[in-house]
Amino acid sequence: MRVQQTVAVGTAKRWLKRGAWLSVLALAVAVPLLAQVPGPDYGEFGIFGLDRRDAVWIAAQLHLLFAAFVLGVPMFAVVIEAIGIFGGDKKYDKLAKEFTRLLLVAYSATAIWGAILVFFLSTLYPRFWVYLTGIFAPSMWLYAVMFFAESFTLYLYYYGWDAWSKGAAKKVHWVLGILLNVWGTIVMLIANSWLTFMMSPPPELTADTAPQSVKLWSAIANATWMPINIHRLLANVVFGGAIVGAYAAYRFLTSETDEERAHYDWMGYTGNFIAIGALIVLPFAGYWLGREIYEFSQQMGITMMGGFMSWLWIIQAFLIGILFLTGNYYLWIGMGRIPGAERFQPYIKYMLLVLVIGVIVWATPNTMIADRDEIAAMGGQQHPFLGVLGVMSAKNTAVNLMILTTFLSFLMYRQANKRPVVSWAKAGTVLQFAAFAVAAAVVLFFGIRGYFVTAIVRIGFSVYQVAAVLATIVFVIGIDVAMSRGAESRGEIQWGKMPPRSQYALLILAVTFTWLMGLMGFARSGIRQHWHVYEVIRDTSEQAFTPALGPAATMISICVLIFFGLVGMIFWLGGLAEKSVYEEKDA
Amino acid sequence: MTNLKILFTVIATLGVFTFVANVIPQVQSAVPEEIILTEDTTPEELAAIGAEVYAGVGGCTACHGLGTRAPDLVGVVGGTCTTRVEGQSCKDYLWESLVNPTAYIVEGFAPIMLDQSRTLDGAQLWTLVAFLESQGGEVTVTSDDFAAALAAADAPPPPPPAPVDPADIDPRQLMVAQGCLACHSFEGEGQQIGPPFEALRGLDPEYVLRGIVNPNADTASDFAAFAGTMPPTFGDLMSEAELSVLVEFFVTGGQ
Repeated sequence: MRVQQTVAVGTAKRWLKRGAWLSVLALAVAVPLLAQVPGPDYGEFGIFGLDRRDAVWIAAQLHLLFAAFVLGVPMFAVVIEAIGIFGGDKKYDKLAKEFTRLLLVAYSATAIWGAILVFFLSTLYPRFWVYLTGIFAPSMWLYAVMFFAESFTLYLYYYGWDAWSKGAAKKVHWVLGILLNVWGTIVMLIANSWLTFMMSPPPELTADTAPQSVKLWSAIANATWMPINIHRLLANVVFGGAIVGAYAAYRFLTSETDEERAHYDWMGYTGNFIAIGALIVLPFAGYWLGREIYEFSQQMGITMMGGFMSWLWIIQAFLIGILFLTGNYYLWIGMGRIPGAERFQPYIKYMLLVLVIGVIVWATPNTMIADRDEIAAMGGQQHPFLGVLGVMSAKNTAVNLMILTTFLSFLMYRQANKRPVVSWAKAGTVLQFAAFAVAAAVVLFFGIRGYFVTAIVRIGFSVYQVAAVLATIVFVIGIDVAMSRGAESRGEIQWGKMPPRSQYALLILAVTFTWLMGLMGFARSGIRQHWHVYEVIRDTSEQAFTPALGPAATMISICVLIFFGLVGMIFWLGGLAEKSVYEEKDA
Repeated sequence: MTNLKILFTVIATLGVFTFVANVIPQVQSAVPEEIILTEDTTPEELAAIGAEVYAGVGGCTACHGLGTRAPDLVGVVGGTCTTRVEGQSCKDYLWESLVNPTAYIVEGFAPIMLDQSRTLDGAQLWTLVAFLESQGGEVTVTSDDFAAALAAADAPPPPPPAPVDPADIDPRQLMVAQGCLACHSFEGEGQQIGPPFEALRGLDPEYVLRGIVNPNADTASDFAAFAGTMPPTFGDLMSEAELSVLVEFFVTGGQ
């Protein structure tokens, strides 16, 4: 086993070193040289029929996907390691280490794509790159330092896993994991400041402002920086969980022993649990980000929600509908391997009904660009019937009920094989049921009431709906944890006894999460329209227009396909290395 | 075989997403083009320029199109404009709505719109009228309509106004003339779109000045829903002396 790790990790280490050096080298060379050399505004690119924007788009998207993975995974690797340390169950420690092994290889890919992105930016958009470095150069150097700190900590964290596995040394090792998260988060915060500056530059900035005269902190702490930071932190956890789930699904499907299948079934469940759990709170962070965008610029907000991007949100609703349905489907299949879960089966069809209706309502269009014929056919700007479902009152109600339903699926899954023994178990169950009923009633009440009040009052209602759902989640979990103490088992979960379709559901979840990230990235970047820096630095290249959803979707799919191709290769290489070691040992 | 199934799952999922995104209506955001307005400009070109003004410098979409602050216009106003005021043509109604927006208020909406001639020139206003007419109606704006506006644009800029003694400026009159009460209230008059002026008493004069000349820099939390409504043009519309007098008036509570 030890030899097997060395082979796989040795490959990862080489990748890691190359990637890290490439990325830092790119920053070190590009920043000082290009900041001094005058030249054209844009460089030429024409490989594989791609233009300069396509090249930057692909590099940025792939860098971001790998980066999201390497930032998300350490968060829950540390939490799972802590569960292993403080709960005393070794299987959690093994799982955390396996997560981290994936991290090593993905980290190198992140660095490589980061280096490609820097080279593309500095050669294809030299003038704009010089402008950015004029403002952000000190933060770029800090980025490089943090990158080294993160790399070094990751080495220590992974390679020290077995050496520091007992007593106080194990806790020190755990602290290393926390440090890894700290460095990674700082790296993300710095990079986020660059891109959010392009979206929401400080209000005093004009086209005539010399970049060197811009105060660094005002450029960093711009209007959308913190909302993006929070949104990305949560999204990275979701994404990390989904990719781990996909890895586990791949390993499950290619496993040859029941033991392996049991392990990867459990790993897939854990990854999916993390992904869906974080997804539940993600819309709230998204709401905050949207609000900040509106506060920064009404024009930008309207472009995003009601302008040429309005159809994008229908696609988003379609994707999130798939996530909710597939996530719940996976859980419902999973109940088949839990003794005692059969008592919940009759309710599933009703939960499915709520989810389907929720998706339909959420995907109903409201305000969007339509031509004269389309408006005439509808009899107005809004459809006479569907227009009622397309407003925020209906949509907020739908999404909150979908979140409640998904949480109910998790709760049923969690309680399936338990028989509480505490004296107040019956009262606890009634309280949980009542909490769900009250939350649903609050959500419905404010959803309906929203049709009869002014917009300013209606906007405030969404806060009550969200608060009711979050409070219910916290309250019900609290009761559940207390009620589960000393609970009798109705039978052990039969890990590994899952039909293959459940694993394909995990793969679809991972692909959908990834594609959704690409789509939201397009939305965030696209609302700048023909500006490099919104209303400050104009994009004068031939690619200044913002593409329609179709071409954008094609580009996103290409990026996702490359990403999964690379990830698949990493998974395959890892399996190949393990296989060769097994054969060597057998010989 | 398993690897092929996995590959198929990934590609099929991506294929569905790509297909759905390609079959919905495709709207591309084009870069605004600079179009020169001349007497030969056709109604279609006028409407096209007006569309740019509507979505851009006019800032119309900050309120119109949301369905809550102001009536939706796109696609419909060219038809409804003739039904608003009896005997008034569509062109006249739309022009009046731009330069004297409180003359007729559509039922269910508050009188929050400002006189657009303070921020847009005559030619831009006529292109807006043309664009709005095109939304469900026929464009009737002609070169005669905007000839005067073009002549004004070609005329040499007026000499800068003579310095005014701050003591001669009446802040109450200035407040009314600038249309501040269309959104703010003072001593019971005006609207509640922005904070009441009484709330500015005792505040830092520099903060109040910034709120006038750069209104989107800060937004009072109680009025966040109306963020972006106030035009950032008041710094240009008032002289330094007028701004100084107005700020002094606000921070001293109207003394």
